[in-house]
Amino acid sequence: MSMDTTVEHVEGAVPITILALEGELDASNFQDLIDTVKRLYDDGTRKLIIDLANLRFMASSGLVALHSIVQIMQGQPPLDPEGGWQALHSLGGDTQTEVRLAGPQPAVERVLQRTGLDRMFVVHADRYTAIDAASAAA
Amino acid sequence: MKVAVEGAADLDLDAVVAPFRAVDPGLCLRIEGADGYPIASTTLDPPGLDAVTRAIPGGALAGGRIRVWGSAAGGGLGTAIAESLSAALAAAPVTDLALAAQHAANARRIEEELASGRRLQRAFVALKPPDVPGYDIASHYEAAREVGGDFFDLFRQRHRGHPLSVVIADVTGKGIAAALLMAFVRPLLRAAIEHTTGPAAALERTNKILVEERRSFLFITALAGRLDVRTGHLCFANAGHELPLIVRADGSQPTWLEGAGPLVGAFPRLDVPEISADLAPGDLALFYTDGVTDARSPSGERFDEWRLLETLEDTRARTAQEVVSAIADKVGEFQGPAPPADDITIVAIRRLPVA
Repeated sequence: MSMDTTVEHVEGAVPITILALEGELDASNFQDLIDTVKRLYDDGTRKLIIDLANLRFMASSGLVALHSIVQIMQGQPPLDPEGGWQALHSLGGDTQTEVRLAGPQPAVERVLQRTGLDRMFVVHADRYTAIDAASAAA
Repeated sequence: MKVAVEGAADLDLDAVVAPFRAVDPGLCLRIEGADGYPIASTTLDPPGLDAVTRAIPGGALAGGRIRVWGSAAGGGLGTAIAESLSAALAAAPVTDLALAAQHAANARRIEEELASGRRLQRAFVALKPPDVPGYDIASHYEAAREVGGDFFDLFRQRHRGHPLSVVIADVTGKGIAAALLMAFVRPLLRAAIEHTTGPAAALERTNKILVEERRSFLFITALAGRLDVRTGHLCFANAGHELPLIVRADGSQPTWLEGAGPLVGAFPRLDVPEISADLAPGDLALFYTDGVTDARSPSGERFDEWRLLETLEDTRARTAQEVVSAIADKVGEFQGPAPPADDITIVAIRRLPVA
């Protein structure tokens, strides 16, 4: 099963990049997703919204990807096997706002909740409310 | 990368791809044998598949195929590369059997190491459940083709009344890193269970040790439970793991036991709730890993929770072993002949009806 990604840019005081995922995020493609975000970061993206509206399924490897994405967007070296958990420590009580999630389907939302990864993210109902919130926070 | 082909040409994959990379820098190709397994491939970023996964005996390419991917592959370049590759194979006169033999020896050694890792992993996992009077316990553990990260543990605790401890866990990711972390965490969790007041505290302690002392980008979903074998009272804590199921003897709809906290290893504190359920005589508690529900059919469908519930409908009032086997068989049938992509672990604990 595959996953397609689409990238859109929203111009504004702080430009926002929207990364829409479609299909299934699992062990076969989570590394590609990490690589995509790495490229976006290198190209200057500093505010990222991941649109999950068309993501039907997320396996546990998807959680690793989300974790790595937060690291990348916080400017930390990604996927360092010796330092991977540090990023989460530094989050402390405040949820980071570099990466926002939008519109997860119930199945994906359940995985986020069950695994506590929803603690890491602000999860918005859809991409539009996510854009509004990201613009307001900027 | 050069690949030696027995009785044929010394194949330089990078040279074949190079002219096309000028058009599409993301272009990669992979040669698969007739059996669908990769023979050789190019990738842009090591460590990827950029290795000979086995020697190429003469004729192995017959019936195989060349897969090309990259942003421009859809525009006809894929065919062009396949043709160019076939031409290279036909034209080059050199055969480097020594190199092929060396690659084959390396591949064999890695295969052997992995096989020995798998054997060791099976030994870690409790294959024979403890004998608990009044209970019927069964388990199923099936490793993925690679070394996997699932584990479970069933043991009688030293505490008063010798409650039965049940642990089921899954290290995210596969391969040697996941297996090593599993081997590290399993005894850690067991010790934490013996030395804390309950499952939530045991998971909290394990998480603390992992977060503070061991750093890795792998996470662990883990469920720890304690069953008072005298009363049937089950108390458990769930750190991001699949929800357990209770199948009542009275024929009512199986219920998921809700209540979970974050994965082990992801945050400084878990704060998982402790959940309680009572097993009445004849009731069954079922624990499993995502290898069951995420199992995929050849057409790409997921096994999902509903098929699991359906299987349980058919197996009501059977022994724990029959329930576990029914699920494992149904998942196996669903997946078809392909080896499981992920480990599959199932544990069933049934309180025997009063005779």
